Amino acid sequence: MKSKPKSDLSGYLYVLPATIFILVFALIPIIVCCVYSFHKYNLVQSMEFIGVENYVRMVDDPYIKAALKNTLVFTIIVVPLQTFLSMLIAALIAAQKQNWWNGFVKSALFIPVISSMILVGTLWRIIYNPEVGLLNQFLSIFNLPTPNWLGSKDLALLSVCVVSIWKNVGYFMVIYIAALMDIPRDLYEVARVDGASGIQQFLHITLPMLKPITYLVITLGTIWSFQVFDLVYAMTGGGPGTSTVTLVSTIYNAAFREYRMGYACAAAMLLFVIILIVSFIQRKFLNPKDDI
Amino acid sequence: MKQRISKLFINLLFIIMTFTAIIPFIYMLFTSFRQVYSLTDFNFQLSDFNFDNYRAVFTNMPFLTYFKNSMIIVICSCALNIAVSALAGYGFAKKRFKGKDLLFSLFLATMMIPGQVTIIPVFTMFNKLGLLNSYASLILPNVGAFGVFMMKQFMEGIPNELIEAAKIDGSGEIRTFFSIVIPLVKPVIISLTTFTFITVWNDFIWPLVVVSTDDMTTLTLGLSTLQGLYLTNYGLVMAGATLTFIVPFTLYIFLQKQFVEGIALSGIKG
Repeated sequence: MKSKPKSDLSGYLYVLPATIFILVFALIPIIVCCVYSFHKYNLVQSMEFIGVENYVRMVDDPYIKAALKNTLVFTIIVVPLQTFLSMLIAALIAAQKQNWWNGFVKSALFIPVISSMILVGTLWRIIYNPEVGLLNQFLSIFNLPTPNWLGSKDLALLSVCVVSIWKNVGYFMVIYIAALMDIPRDLYEVARVDGASGIQQFLHITLPMLKPITYLVITLGTIWSFQVFDLVYAMTGGGPGTSTVTLVSTIYNAAFREYRMGYACAAAMLLFVIILIVSFIQRKFLNPKDDI
Repeated sequence: MKQRISKLFINLLFIIMTFTAIIPFIYMLFTSFRQVYSLTDFNFQLSDFNFDNYRAVFTNMPFLTYFKNSMIIVICSCALNIAVSALAGYGFAKKRFKGKDLLFSLFLATMMIPGQVTIIPVFTMFNKLGLLNSYASLILPNVGAFGVFMMKQFMEGIPNELIEAAKIDGSGEIRTFFSIVIPLVKPVIISLTTFTFITVWNDFIWPLVVVSTDDMTTLTLGLSTLQGLYLTNYGLVMAGATLTFIVPFTLYIFLQKQFVEGIALSGIKG
């Protein structure tokens, strides 16, 4: 029999500091955010209760509409591509014998992950520069068209998507490599004896075994898509027009440029509910036993 | 033969991937040492390379102050987060008290709350306390449930017998915690440190909201301002970008494994 610790009041003391932090910086704020969302509040004057007016106003807000549309496009482009690419790269790396060269590739792909979104946005803004940027110089060597990547309404969001994928692939690759290492080797041995080809092994062993991780990667990717802010702030500032406006940039502008705290909180609650829904969908798909 | 070709193909793919991942950084470093207003100018000589851009960054903006602020905020956040998380992790893993499971699920639930949603209430709270634009406001919100979760997971693996034995040997509660438990969770401490370090160093929206003066600005926030002010002075912007990246990159070179683990673990944080 395992020895069990005795019931002990000192337990409360251990968890007390963390509990205070959680209360002050997460639980109470979420309640306050909800309360604010039903008020008109500009920090200076006292709060005024206005019912669901903030929420009603969101329906007609062109920025919210643009933000939701942009996020949808962003998610549809970014999530499948980054999931596929990171899985592919991880599979390629995991299939090789471990040596310094594979290790180097892995380390190099992780460098964008440790950089800040602001740094990444700053670098790519210069790379995307229509006249002098690295990208268009490269394209002009092959006489390819050299568009104004961030200045055009049709291309700006797409250009931001590419940068987001570039930054996150290394992150998901690492998660996939860890998952691939956990697949028992003998499964492949058996398949090889049965004459399964490499592609068949991938489709019938690797892919099903990676399913829980793939759900995680998709969920995280989707949640991150709804949280984009820094990258857009550094690259386009939301423009041109509203073509790269995001939900968080709308919240930021409403709260800290226009001081419409109540309205910003209503938008924040919308973000919160969306993220909750995405997480719950993942929970439903994921076997709780597979949960980490 | 067929294997050779596929091997060659994979290696070629690896080279392209590596190149794609690091070329922006090489470009950054390269441009930061040249006086360029037009990047079309690729006819360069070795004598073109100088530190003028770096000198200009330091004369135009208090980058050293930014650097100091980032360091203070990051180091304090790491220390605080580890202390609070280690204590709570131990409480949840090894102590029995009423309401423990409920409290822990509450902790887990807060991991689903995105930081952008709590920004406004936390801002108004610091505003009422008169603590905006202070180290306190930049450090305190960096403590979260994720560290507690990590610590608890790891501490559950410590055999109870070990703790009991220490107590029988006359080691008190506090001594047991510091001399038995803490040394055993070193790997988590390192992972949590790297994770907190990178998250806080790179954080942008919170400093953007809280900071209102140069003497409280962080490097990441400073880079954003620099970029906004000197949009077409590419060399200068790249020098600033390089300066913000030196510390995380150096740490990454030395603590690669811990970085990858610490940051990849955050995946479960959501």
